[in-house]
Amino acid sequence: MENVCDLNYLTEMMDNKKPLIGGIMDSFLQQIPEELQSINDAITKTDYTIIKSFAHTMKSSVSIMGIAILTPILKEMEDLGKAASGIERIKELSIQLNLICEQAIKEIETEKPNYA
Amino acid sequence: MSKKLTTIFIVDDNRIFRLALKADIEVAFAKKPIKTHLFETGENCMQEIKKEKPQLVILDYNLNSLVPNAADGIKILDQIKRECPETHVIMLTSEDHIDIALKSFHHGASDYVVKTDTKFSKINYSVFNLFKIIETTDEAQTYKYLSIALSLCIGLLVGGILALQLINPSILK
Repeated sequence: MENVCDLNYLTEMMDNKKPLIGGIMDSFLQQIPEELQSINDAITKTDYTIIKSFAHTMKSSVSIMGIAILTPILKEMEDLGKAASGIERIKELSIQLNLICEQAIKEIETEKPNYA
Repeated sequence: MSKKLTTIFIVDDNRIFRLALKADIEVAFAKKPIKTHLFETGENCMQEIKKEKPQLVILDYNLNSLVPNAADGIKILDQIKRECPETHVIMLTSEDHIDIALKSFHHGASDYVVKTDTKFSKINYSVFNLFKIIETTDEAQTYKYLSIALSLCIGLLVGGILALQLINPSILK
C-alpha cells in the first residue's frame, strides 16, 4: 500500500532537525486520535458545529504531516458542517477519514524511532 | 540581525500547528535569540502579556474550535493593543476573505497571513519584516536619546562658558 504521509515538507521545514520532527510526531500521535474521537462522537450526535470545528482543526494538523489525500475529505466535511446538512455524506467521508488516519498513525509510529 | 532577545507569543488552538510554527521560526531565525511562548487560547495569552511584554504575537483568527466560549482573534487583538500598544501582531486565518484582512488591520494588526500550503514561509517572511521594523524603531529610539544627551552636553558647555564670562569676563580672553 502506498504511504499516505509525505514527511518531506516537515523535514525540509525543520531543516532535518530530528528532535524537532520527533516532537511534532509525538504531538500528532497524541492529538489525532483525540480529534478523531471528537469528530466521530459529533457525527453520532449529528452535531454539525463540532463536525465543522474539528474538520477545520484536523485540516491544519494533517497538512503538516503531508497527508494531502485528507485535505479534500476534511474540506467537504467542514463545508457540510457549516451548511448543517448531509449527515449521510459526512458518515461516508468519516469512514475514509478514519481509515487514512489509522494508516497515517501506523506510518508515523514506524518512522518515529528514526527521529529520536 | 540584532542579538537582542525577542519574545514571541504564538496563539493557536491547534497543538501540532503551534509546535510546528515554533520549531519553524527557531530554525529560520537560528542566529537570533528568540523566546517563544505557546498558548491555546487568547485568554491564556492575556494572562502572560503584561509580564512578558512580547515584541510579537502570532495570533489565529479562529480560537474557538476546541474551546467553544474562547474569545476570537479580533477580541484578543483589541486587548493586546490596549495592554501593549507597541506589540506587533500577525493575524492568521484559514479563510482568504478581504473583510477579515481589513478588520484585522483596522483593529491594529501589523500583518495578515492566510493559512495556505505555503503558510510557514509566508509567516517567516512576515516575522523577518517585523524584526526589521522592531530593530529600526529601537535604533531610532537610541539615536533620539543620544541626540537629547548631546544637546544637553552642548547646552551645559555653553551655559558654563557664559557663566564663566559673567563671573570673570577676563578669564576667556
